[in-house]
Amino acid sequence: MRSLWIAMWLAASMPAADWTLYATMTTSKGYVVGAKLLPSGVFARDGDGDGRWRQVGFGHPFAVTAGYAERDPATLYLAAGNGLIRLTEGGSKWKFLTGSDVTEIRDVSVGPDGAIWYGHSAGVRVSRDLGVTWTEVKKKYAEAVRADRTRASVVLVGGEDGIWRTEDAGRTWRLAGASGFGVMQMEQSPHDPCYWLAVTQHGGLFASRDCGKSFENAPRMGVERVLYTVSFDKTDARRVVLAGWGFGVAVSEDGGRTFAFRNAGLPSTDVWSAAFDPGRPGRLWASVHEEAVYRSDDAGRSWVRDGLEGSIVYRFSFVPSKGGAR
Amino acid sequence: MRFLILLVAVSGCWGADGYRERSASVVRQYAGPADLQTASYGTIAAKLALGQDLEWCSRRLEEILAAGPTGDMFWMFPVTAIAYRDQGQLTPSARAALKKAWKTYMPYRGDTENHWLLYYTCLYLMSQLWPDAEWYTGKTSAENMAEAKTWIDGWVKLTTTRGQGEYDCTHYIGVYLLPMSYLTAWAKDADLQKKATMMLDYLIADYAVENLGGIYVGAHARTDDKMVVEKWEGVAGDFGWMLFGLGPRPAAIGHYTLYYGLAANYEPPAILQKIATDRSQPYTHYEKKRTRNRWRFADELHGPVYKTTYVRKEYAVGSDQGGVLQPIQQHSWDVTWAVPDPRGVQNTMFALNPHSSLRELQTYFVFGPDFGVEAVVRSKKTYDSPDKLLGGSPYERIYQDKDALIALYDVPEGARFPHVNGFFSKDLREVVEDASGWIFAKGGEALLALRPLRAYEWRDIAGGGRRLFSPHRKNGVILQVAAAAEFASYGEFQRAIRALPLEFGFEPGPWVKFRNLRGAEMRFTYGVEPVDRSKWPLFGGPFLEADVDSEQLVMKYGGMRRVLDFKKLTVSEALR
Repeated sequence: MRSLWIAMWLAASMPAADWTLYATMTTSKGYVVGAKLLPSGVFARDGDGDGRWRQVGFGHPFAVTAGYAERDPATLYLAAGNGLIRLTEGGSKWKFLTGSDVTEIRDVSVGPDGAIWYGHSAGVRVSRDLGVTWTEVKKKYAEAVRADRTRASVVLVGGEDGIWRTEDAGRTWRLAGASGFGVMQMEQSPHDPCYWLAVTQHGGLFASRDCGKSFENAPRMGVERVLYTVSFDKTDARRVVLAGWGFGVAVSEDGGRTFAFRNAGLPSTDVWSAAFDPGRPGRLWASVHEEAVYRSDDAGRSWVRDGLEGSIVYRFSFVPSKGGAR
Repeated sequence: MRFLILLVAVSGCWGADGYRERSASVVRQYAGPADLQTASYGTIAAKLALGQDLEWCSRRLEEILAAGPTGDMFWMFPVTAIAYRDQGQLTPSARAALKKAWKTYMPYRGDTENHWLLYYTCLYLMSQLWPDAEWYTGKTSAENMAEAKTWIDGWVKLTTTRGQGEYDCTHYIGVYLLPMSYLTAWAKDADLQKKATMMLDYLIADYAVENLGGIYVGAHARTDDKMVVEKWEGVAGDFGWMLFGLGPRPAAIGHYTLYYGLAANYEPPAILQKIATDRSQPYTHYEKKRTRNRWRFADELHGPVYKTTYVRKEYAVGSDQGGVLQPIQQHSWDVTWAVPDPRGVQNTMFALNPHSSLRELQTYFVFGPDFGVEAVVRSKKTYDSPDKLLGGSPYERIYQDKDALIALYDVPEGARFPHVNGFFSKDLREVVEDASGWIFAKGGEALLALRPLRAYEWRDIAGGGRRLFSPHRKNGVILQVAAAAEFASYGEFQRAIRALPLEFGFEPGPWVKFRNLRGAEMRFTYGVEPVDRSKWPLFGGPFLEADVDSEQLVMKYGGMRRVLDFKKLTVSEALR
């Protein structure tokens, strides 16, 4: 209870957010193939008020997630169904960085050396020249890709059969865990680079405390369900959020050892994504299937509807506001 | 006069007019809609082609574009036709609006073979037309063209070496013919233009050899809930009429034929007319195709598809080998019988295990697991329905010899729909449930015998016909078809079928030993290949020949030969 009050006080006293929240989403409620595309693509949320979502650039039916390089947050890399797309000039200028040889980009991650990694329907590719040329480094479906932010050659890939890790920039790969499970997302803790979490289809949560070398099944959260999201709280090393289908939102206050459901106030437990706001301690965002985005200022204990009605947000991405596609 | 009527009925040729007139009539139809207020791109393109109402064309184009483009790659092909049919007829303002749309609207590339072919064909042609324009891709026109050409060249090579993944589709045939018609008409690159023209021959040949009165017969990668039972009613029927004069003129002819005609308006060579229409001798035709891209759960991106199609003037029996080769809309086997007038007629019989699974969807699509089935059902209504008549099953295996076919089912416990559906048309005549276990029926001039291997019951189908429902997981059916002319009477046919040696069992899996009407002994055990398929040709039969990886197609009719060589980009003809 005390931590809750501290979090609320911090939230009230913090200066304006230094991050811009991007939602890569589609409005699927009421949509059928062939109909006019409902608001979909990349949306940014400005300020603290209600209803401040604005579309960034083109309408797009399959914008999956966005990434950026620490050294250049003004440039976003959008993983999308029809390719990897670079967004610049406040998001008004889009350029495809990929061609006809690749499709269904599932995830993107930029390493500490600026290398851009993405996973797609048939493998993993990397570019070391800002997307001009690409090298395929793995040939297998890749749903999740994360470059280790502290070691340039270390990359983790989650596919249909577990988590794979390379220490030599993709020349060799070793199975690191979650064997046999489809991996949905992986994250590296912002507080401890050797702490990783991964969520899976029907296998629950997996954790690594040895820099991603090996993953073990963490507390039996979400087993038999599909967990779509795991996300750390940049403002609090103890907080982790999980989201899933028929699972809702669960928050850990002890670094991922135990979780408590935070679904009171949400219209359903079919949740695609959730993320803590790095600019507002205790603020949590969640996307409820074809309902809306929900916002909580008390780490999920209560929720308010925040817009993007009827949507599916695949990922919430926070980008430093001094850069970003603002 | 009686002779003339008979000739029309047998050949299936309805069109007294030639190809050019049929094509022109489609353009005229689209140029003169009942209501101009709601007329869309098709009418604009048709009027531009005829040089009519040019002021209206420009005004209407701007109106539609101002409302915001929709439809992704299905938006691209109408406006590409308009851009190329413009020829200085549109106002500068309308042309500018069209150009602006290609910068501000991002058409999605889609996730199927037909989507990509449409997308890249149109992107190529528009970038060729406007070399200095700005594009939604953020790339230059030259970059767009290079990307598009790379994909189109790759598609041609893959098709002529391993076959199409979206093969022999009753509906999507239109969106393969259309892009090739566009490139034939408008590509300036001589090699690409010639390749496209050759692909028109190739695709039309693929259809011509497996049609019966314009109806696309045999196994299909994709069809739909209507065309799977009412075989003529759709795009293949439209093209059968327009290209070859087969079948009646469709009352509401689809716009693919319009755009095909507005571009190259390519009339197939005489040899294809012969192949499409001569059903004087029965023949067996073989094809090898490939599966759709398998993103998960398979080591190879494409698996093989082995097709067998037996065709004669009264009917066709066609099949693949079974399994899920294409998600959702696959049609694995049937008998289709010829009818004098196909409109509204359900001239087919088949069975299937109605299969619906997340694994099927995740093999071929990347979307998340929980919403996957519901997302599919929103547009493909019957996908997750136990009474459906569409789709492949991983628990079905098929073996065909001429006009005899065995389909075996071994559905594991826990499968969502552990039963077999059989389609019995409202248009069957004299259906007899014989004490022998065979079900006899007449369809047109075809005599049908279907032997369910397990007990069944009948369920009515809304709109007519009956569904054979057999709830056994280890199951099977045998189909034997013959022409009425082969027997003195219906009773004679039934006696012949009853006399055919037949043994079958279900342990450890379903198996059948059957001597068919043509004298061949068919031994088939679920999970065991009934024939050696290692040498299966890309095309094989009396009319078409092509080896796997050959990049060639040999068309044959009597002494006529036409050879497409995609390696050399040559077309050669000979008369022997």
